[in-house]
Amino acid sequence: MNNNWLKENTFHHSEFKEIDRLVEEKIRKNLTIALCLPTLNEEKTIAKEIIIIKSELVTRYPLVDEIVVIDSGSTDNTRKIAREYGAGVYKATDILPGLETFKGKGENLWKALYITKSDIIAYLDADIKNIHHRFVYGLVAPLILSNNIKFCKAFYDRPISTGKNKIRPTGGGRVTELVIRPMLSLFFPELTQIMQPLSGEYAGYREIFEKIPFPIGYGIETSMILDIYEKWGLDVMAQVDLDRRVHRNQDTKALGKMSFVIMMTFLKRIEKLGIIKINKSMLNEMIQYNLVHNNYKADVFKIEGIERPPIIEIPEYRKKFNIS
Amino acid sequence: METYLDKLPLFIDTIKSMSETIIANIVFIGQEPAPTFKEQKRANLFMERLAEAGVDECSTDGYRNPIGIIRGTSKTKPPVFVVAHLDTLLDTDVDYNFTIKENFIQGAGILDNSVSVGVLASLPEIFRKLNLRFESDIVLSGPIQSMGKGNLRGIRHLVKTWATPIRGAVCVEGSELGRLNYYSYGMNRGEINCDIPDSGKWENRFRPNAILILNEVINQILQLSMPQRPRSSIIFGKISGGFKHGIIAYDAKLGFEIQSDSDKMVKKIYTDINDIVDGISHENGIDLKIQTISNLKASKLNYNHPLVKSSVAIMKKLGLQPISDPSESELSIFLSKNIPAVTIGITNGKNYHLENAKMAIDPMFKGIAQLVGIIMAIDSGVCDE
Repeated sequence: MNNNWLKENTFHHSEFKEIDRLVEEKIRKNLTIALCLPTLNEEKTIAKEIIIIKSELVTRYPLVDEIVVIDSGSTDNTRKIAREYGAGVYKATDILPGLETFKGKGENLWKALYITKSDIIAYLDADIKNIHHRFVYGLVAPLILSNNIKFCKAFYDRPISTGKNKIRPTGGGRVTELVIRPMLSLFFPELTQIMQPLSGEYAGYREIFEKIPFPIGYGIETSMILDIYEKWGLDVMAQVDLDRRVHRNQDTKALGKMSFVIMMTFLKRIEKLGIIKINKSMLNEMIQYNLVHNNYKADVFKIEGIERPPIIEIPEYRKKFNIS
Repeated sequence: METYLDKLPLFIDTIKSMSETIIANIVFIGQEPAPTFKEQKRANLFMERLAEAGVDECSTDGYRNPIGIIRGTSKTKPPVFVVAHLDTLLDTDVDYNFTIKENFIQGAGILDNSVSVGVLASLPEIFRKLNLRFESDIVLSGPIQSMGKGNLRGIRHLVKTWATPIRGAVCVEGSELGRLNYYSYGMNRGEINCDIPDSGKWENRFRPNAILILNEVINQILQLSMPQRPRSSIIFGKISGGFKHGIIAYDAKLGFEIQSDSDKMVKKIYTDINDIVDGISHENGIDLKIQTISNLKASKLNYNHPLVKSSVAIMKKLGLQPISDPSESELSIFLSKNIPAVTIGITNGKNYHLENAKMAIDPMFKGIAQLVGIIMAIDSGVCDE
């Protein structure tokens, strides 16, 4: 196991606070950078993310060239607000309309590859309450400054907002510690060095993202790490400590569904890699129970586990980017 | 004056074009909790933002008030101060993360006074964008320890220890847009504490009730005669006490403020209240104490002072109707040192002191244009009598 990775490829955002240096290097290398915010009903946080990034990393330091919001069909004012504050706003269903439509974060990230033009794409969840431009420059800095690193993942000390405007000082990462870390320990111990493999913020080169499949839902973070690891190895990856991230808390049932999808993605991946053989086809329903009027009622969550192929295989994409 | 007055309405659109920078500063600074006496992190952030905006001289004074100085073109003109108190009323355990929608920003402390501090941090870039240079140095400061028990200590220190004369000052508050304060009442803010010791014995049930004692204090204060001239009043602003519904209250606290345009009258009323407290304490054999939390001397500019007249003209030019009330804030410290000063509001809002305080975004741009106009007026000499 390569234990040096943790030491050599782990950064703290404060190492990159001289943003003008990043801009210089970006220009020298002739790179462009896009920020993608996948959304579904994020009207409370989307404006702040756009404003902070535009103010600090477009106007003050020209580090980011594109800001796009890819929306899964919000029923609140997410798209209107995002447009108002100057982001490029797209409904996921309007992108590549000739393809079958799916709904999910992974779908939005995949379609962002088609919509954006830049060499580097940074993905941020749109529910970050304490957004700061370090979330972007911290993620893209290792990609700009290093010649080897092609993918960079965030990790945090994450307090959870518990409602009623009170903040609990520690917590979060339950699915990481109870699901993905045990799985990685069993099959890919090197990858346990990634502190928060499920964090929703990462950046990478288009040349990496366009060559891997994207599950349409929660499994995207899991599959992405496994696929990049398998294709290019650990050394193209880095992680950056972005300090604190305040986000919405999710209840245990929601985390249960998330865990279901992550386990499904993980098991499919390791079977495909020939690491294990599952002698029974996996079911696609997560069953949880609610007590309704003194009766237990099943709450069935169906997940198809659909994946988009590497986008480089899509003719429209190849045409847009002149790939023969 | 006419020349810059005419420019003011045009400033609004230019300032609006910088909305991302201004809102980003408000958010960065406002999301850092800064209850009175715990402002250090926000002070550092304020200076960082000024430095980021290209202000070369960012530092703190001996009391840790953060200051940024934009150097003027004249070596002889005294500086113009622009101040917005840094501290907030709410403690650190509330969520200071703001929500931004199309027309408003919501969050703890946004109106009092994060929006103003964020605007101050944006001024260097606003001046550049408006192509403005001043003769005077512009001193941008977020004084600490302003509210409540802070008793304006930060601004008192800043003004007292500033080495040169000060040409004039603008104090900036979050709301309401249209306020124009140019006089301060004399003020004494105090607390009356009633503590009834627990003997731990059965006769406890017959001991005096602290809430009823304070009720008696209030009744006797209400019997004091308040003169129409000099205009004077007593405000009961805070009260707390007791433990639970079925138990006689053994402690209670009353917060009050005496206001008058005569310092002598403030002193006389305070003495009267002190006598009431002593009397009730003696008659009931209990521990009833009065203490002063903060105080200010009455001070004012006349309505026909050029700074007031210019401020009124600026506001009217921008379509604002000036509303004047007394203000017990940084303003009184400047005025008490004979430094011409006014307090203005930056925008409109609601839930002023609540966790869900809300400020309107659009009026803020007019509020900033007004602030820039008053700084220009001072720089043009309206305070140089």
